[in-house]
Amino acid sequence: MELEPMDDFEKELRQTFERQPAPPGMKGKIMARRRVSEPRSHAVLWQRLAASLALAAVLGGVVEWNWHLREERRKGEAARQQVLTALRITNHALNHMNKQLAAHGRAVQE
Amino acid sequence: MAHDWQPDFEQLVDEHQSMVFSLALRMTGDRGLAEEIAQDVFLELDRNLGKIESQPHACFWLRRVAMNRSTDALRRRRVHGINLWVEMEDRHGIKVEERASPLGARLEQLLATLPEPQRAALVLRYQEELTPEEIAATLEAPLATVKSNLQRGLKLLRAKAGVYLKEYIRGT
Repeated sequence: MELEPMDDFEKELRQTFERQPAPPGMKGKIMARRRVSEPRSHAVLWQRLAASLALAAVLGGVVEWNWHLREERRKGEAARQQVLTALRITNHALNHMNKQLAAHGRAVQE
Repeated sequence: MAHDWQPDFEQLVDEHQSMVFSLALRMTGDRGLAEEIAQDVFLELDRNLGKIESQPHACFWLRRVAMNRSTDALRRRRVHGINLWVEMEDRHGIKVEERASPLGARLEQLLATLPEPQRAALVLRYQEELTPEEIAATLEAPLATVKSNLQRGLKLLRAKAGVYLKEYIRGT
């Protein structure tokens, strides 16, 4: 629709559909509702902050627990390696002693 | 986005309360509901004040939200057409015939009988004097749809006015 000049009917429409004044007191009601909603929005803000902190604490706990488990596993593995090393040393010493005893036995027989 | 304009909520209410209320009233036909919608629109503006960049942006935002909230309210109440005006007279004691022009009163009644999209386009065109492009932006509708709604709404309103107001048609 092109913006053609308005005919009489359209001019009548424009006059009829002029803005009407808002009801008296509407602004007061808006300002009152605004004042009521302000403290509530502060409360919502605090609630959100508390929820965020609680969530952060839970996530921190999970991360800490995972780290603890991993550290325990690492310490266990280190202890196992130490035991295996000790066993290898013992085995080596026993073999050495065995060889010496065998050599001593042969010398006695001769 | 940085912008120098600092919105003053109270001033915005002063300047635009008539516009928001009139849009809601013409869309719903119910003064009580229109006032409720207008209050909600301004409180929503208050929550979104940081996003408003300028005076024209505030005006555009208020028009768009007023139209959306009115449409939502109509859908919720499932109230259509001229019954709204009967209800308005019953509940608020307002006689539409009390207007200065009887033709104006009749046109207000006839507007309420139009389908909602046509009513929205006509209200924005003749109350707010917006171009079809501005109406399309306000209603977030395709321009072709808005033009079609304007044409059909105007045609329908003329036809209805022709039936009810033959003497007026003869006079023009």
